[in-house]
Amino acid sequence: MTTQTTGTITPAASRRFRPARRGAQASPGRSGRRSPLPVKLSVLFVCALWIVPTLGVVITSFRTVDAANSSGWWSLLAHPGGLADLTTGNYSKAIEQADLGSAFFNSVAITLPAVFVPLLIAAFAAYAFTFMRFKGRDALFIVIVSLLVVPNYVAFVPIIKLYSDVNLNGTFPAAWLAHIGFGMSLAVYILRNYMATLPKDVVESAKIDGASHFQTFYRLILPMSAPALASFAIFQFLWVWNDLLVALVFVGPGDKQPITIATNNLFGQQGTGWELVTAGGLFSMLVPILVFLTLQRYFVRGLTSGAVKG
Amino acid sequence: MVSQVLSTVLTVLAGVAAALVVYWVLNKLAEALPGPWENRIKPYFYVAPAVAAIGVYLVYPTIITVINSFKNSDGSRFVGVENFVKLLQTPAFRQTLLNTLLWIAIVPAACIVVGLFVATLADRLSFRAEKAAKTIIFMPMAISAVGSATVWRFMYAAQPAGQPQTGLLNGIVTAFGHDPVPWLQQSTLHSNSLLLMVMLLWGQAGFAMVLLSAAIKGVPAETLEAARLDGAGEMRIFWRVILPQIRGTVITVFVTVLITVMKVFDVIYVTTNGAFNTNVVGLEFFNQLYTNYNYGYASAIVVMLLIAIVPIMIYQIRHFRAEEPA
Amino acid sequence: MPTRKLVLAVSAFSALTLLATGCSSGSDSSASDKKTITIWSSMDQPIIDGLKAKVNPEAKAQGITVQWRKVDNINQIIVQKVQANDAPDIALLPQPGIIKDFATKGKVTPLDDVLDIPALQKSMTPGTLDVAKVNGKTYGLMVSMNVKGLVFYPKKAFEAAGYTAPKTLDELNALTEKIKADGKTPWCLGIEAATATGWPATDWFENLVLKYGGVDKYNEWISHKIKFDSPLVRQAAAQFEKIAFTDGNVLGGRKSIASNNFGTAGNPMFQSKPGCYMYQQGSFITGFFPKAVQKNLDSEVGVFGLPPVTAGGDNPVEGGGDTASIYQDSPAARKVMKLLAATDVGTTAAKNGSSFISPHKDFPLSNYPLKTTQSIAKVAYDSTGFAFDGSDAMPTAVGTGSFWKEMTAWISGQESLDAALKNIDASWPVS
Repeated sequence: MTTQTTGTITPAASRRFRPARRGAQASPGRSGRRSPLPVKLSVLFVCALWIVPTLGVVITSFRTVDAANSSGWWSLLAHPGGLADLTTGNYSKAIEQADLGSAFFNSVAITLPAVFVPLLIAAFAAYAFTFMRFKGRDALFIVIVSLLVVPNYVAFVPIIKLYSDVNLNGTFPAAWLAHIGFGMSLAVYILRNYMATLPKDVVESAKIDGASHFQTFYRLILPMSAPALASFAIFQFLWVWNDLLVALVFVGPGDKQPITIATNNLFGQQGTGWELVTAGGLFSMLVPILVFLTLQRYFVRGLTSGAVKG
Repeated sequence: MVSQVLSTVLTVLAGVAAALVVYWVLNKLAEALPGPWENRIKPYFYVAPAVAAIGVYLVYPTIITVINSFKNSDGSRFVGVENFVKLLQTPAFRQTLLNTLLWIAIVPAACIVVGLFVATLADRLSFRAEKAAKTIIFMPMAISAVGSATVWRFMYAAQPAGQPQTGLLNGIVTAFGHDPVPWLQQSTLHSNSLLLMVMLLWGQAGFAMVLLSAAIKGVPAETLEAARLDGAGEMRIFWRVILPQIRGTVITVFVTVLITVMKVFDVIYVTTNGAFNTNVVGLEFFNQLYTNYNYGYASAIVVMLLIAIVPIMIYQIRHFRAEEPA
Repeated sequence: MPTRKLVLAVSAFSALTLLATGCSSGSDSSASDKKTITIWSSMDQPIIDGLKAKVNPEAKAQGITVQWRKVDNINQIIVQKVQANDAPDIALLPQPGIIKDFATKGKVTPLDDVLDIPALQKSMTPGTLDVAKVNGKTYGLMVSMNVKGLVFYPKKAFEAAGYTAPKTLDELNALTEKIKADGKTPWCLGIEAATATGWPATDWFENLVLKYGGVDKYNEWISHKIKFDSPLVRQAAAQFEKIAFTDGNVLGGRKSIASNNFGTAGNPMFQSKPGCYMYQQGSFITGFFPKAVQKNLDSEVGVFGLPPVTAGGDNPVEGGGDTASIYQDSPAARKVMKLLAATDVGTTAAKNGSSFISPHKDFPLSNYPLKTTQSIAKVAYDSTGFAFDGSDAMPTAVGTGSFWKEMTAWISGQESLDAALKNIDASWPVS
């Protein structure tokens, strides 16, 4: 990233949010104080509130059924003697019983195209909305933005009927196309807003140099929009990976089921113990959390200079 | 397993490649057109796939749904506004509407408050502490609704009095010698709905926090220092200097969370499925469709939701227009 | 330029995977020449495993591969999938009402030319073959049965206190009072089941309606010829109220019922000092008991059926079951269906100690390794009539909707019985 873009977070903000430099300018500029105790404590308190619920799941996933049913998970913290009874068996059992292994690959197969394809489509559209002039441009864009608020479950029944005409139900493309459609307005919105902050003269000079739109898009705009592309990709990734409903409706249980359906099948009226549900659940959270942790930097950058405008 | 990995990789590549080919063909097609037509048509080619996707997956279903809302349960005959009238006459549905309103009134605002709180305070911590705190608050965003239902079960679960509790809240309550409380059934003052809102807040606050935090960092230091020189306290600085400057971000976050809340469905589906007066419009839609097979009611519910969303749409568009450079 | 790096990385990674896996991967038989039959069910895993162990080799011998899938929430999902033309070959549904609905719409295959119906008529428990009958044609075959309205008790403590299984409902009430008078808690009761909260309460109701009204009245009730707001249902409600709402009868009291998970609600029976002495549930519940209890089921657990109104009188039994139907007709699917209809199809499932109970009354009791299971099966085989779980046979808007929810609302004290019954009646779909 060599291009400097002007942040649009606030009217006056000419400097970008750059975490790496924060340490240097921290105390004098900001508050004039180094984190007083009450501040530390309040943040610590909120963090504790946020992390405690997760702890219950993590601990339960390592306990035996009978232990999980007969005492609270926190009792383990009070009586560390119970540590000896912990087991990793729940994981192997959950993975085997719900066939989480193949469901995992199904999730990958559903998620990756459902992230990259709409990214590509939206990038082309956003480019046209930003750098090309054509009739009805603004009206079209406003329609797209306003469709952000339409809940996707509206589409389920009509689309199921549409799919059954072309025998698409229960296949990966059924899920891809659905996620492409449902994610498109957000993608166009984020990318268009970000591209609007890119300096126009870059495009102009490329044109003068004889570059075609396709070349300008591919060589200049796409790389320059990396933060926004990344933040949408993360958004879409989390959404698709964690999605249960679209998968249930369009792909359904079977050999193509993603991990959310497989985990959900561990539940059930005459269901399995919580020890398996927690283990299966944590297994399915693994990837989104890893992706999120490694990429969160881009997430923030793309959104703050694009979608969020003051 | 191996062949599965292989086919996964192949499908991924095929999917992406297919999309690229479409654009390449479209671009070639446009270039083949004579002179001025190329530039006139090309923009439409660029936006066409996006517009088509939105058309098929959002616009077309919306139109079908509006039509079906005036039809009977299996869509075989028009019944006028009967679905709307009947629904609105049902006390349970009016409660559902009320619950949805509560969600709308509380969750977006709560997200902003928590987000601002953490963002402002974390800003004063050391760089590493700030990063850690933010990661913790943000993490639940990566957890699915089913996951979060599992997570919160270990907070809210209730066993009969005298039995060991498996929910933390009741663990605390009973430790103080009180009877366990069946949290998710307490519909007095909609307290159970509030507890479900906490689940959504838990997932969404991180999003609000990250965006607000970035906005706060964008507030020019000079304005803060000027205020400080004038002897303003930290609270006053927050209200008078910081908040006005991040107003735009606050509004964007608010609207984004608001949209999420209006569509909310899964958090409630996986916990109470709407029992104990926790039902909301999104869930009622689902149950009308898949439990009661009443397509007419289901569509009517969505149409009401769409009508409620219109003001937000208009606001969104105005907001958007206002910030566009002319 | 992160994007391009990302693209590069992705393609490099896929190339590597291709190289690494290219040689070892076999041919992926994705062709649909119907050599593979998919069966969906929501039965417990051990039952599925048992049936699989028996059926799959037999099918293999005929050149058919059978894939079993455990599908949660199968009742809702099968409806979507049938709408979407994406149903499995065979599915076992706990709710025959849905199968009947499909049958009238022509979405399932009648089994009359597939199976030997007269022979099955003799082999199966009376009533079980009729659960999915429409216009004289049979559309579903019950493969696994469960018996409801069973009262489980902690054998050792129960017998040590000198309690005995009651012969009538009045005796049951007397026993309840006696246990309470001894300073103990008679019942455990829990109806929480996440998304399906309330169904255990409907089981209570159905059993009591069946005991008071008999099979005929019961069938009139589940087809709404007798309303919920009727003397019969109110009689059942009164009996339930007596057991569940009387102070001191239920562990944790009335307010704990709706939040107490049905799966673990009975476990306090097995504490060293029993938290309660009776728990009413279906036969499958033994799979939820603590592992230590399951290991010694015969010595730890006793069971009796909910007693009839008068001793030795009409004593019908309520049960449920998973009913198989063909959704995608093919010669292979028919062959598999035939395998599922054999009396001995459940041999392995019964022997592996799952909660499996065969609907075939000629299924040898000795196949059940446990005395407990034998006595449960005997309750069914000896009954004066078998009635299918009512909420599973009612329209889904009631059977999985208002009946669950209104019962829950009543039990948790949010609604009067009057309002609950009237609301259920109002929710019955007008056909």
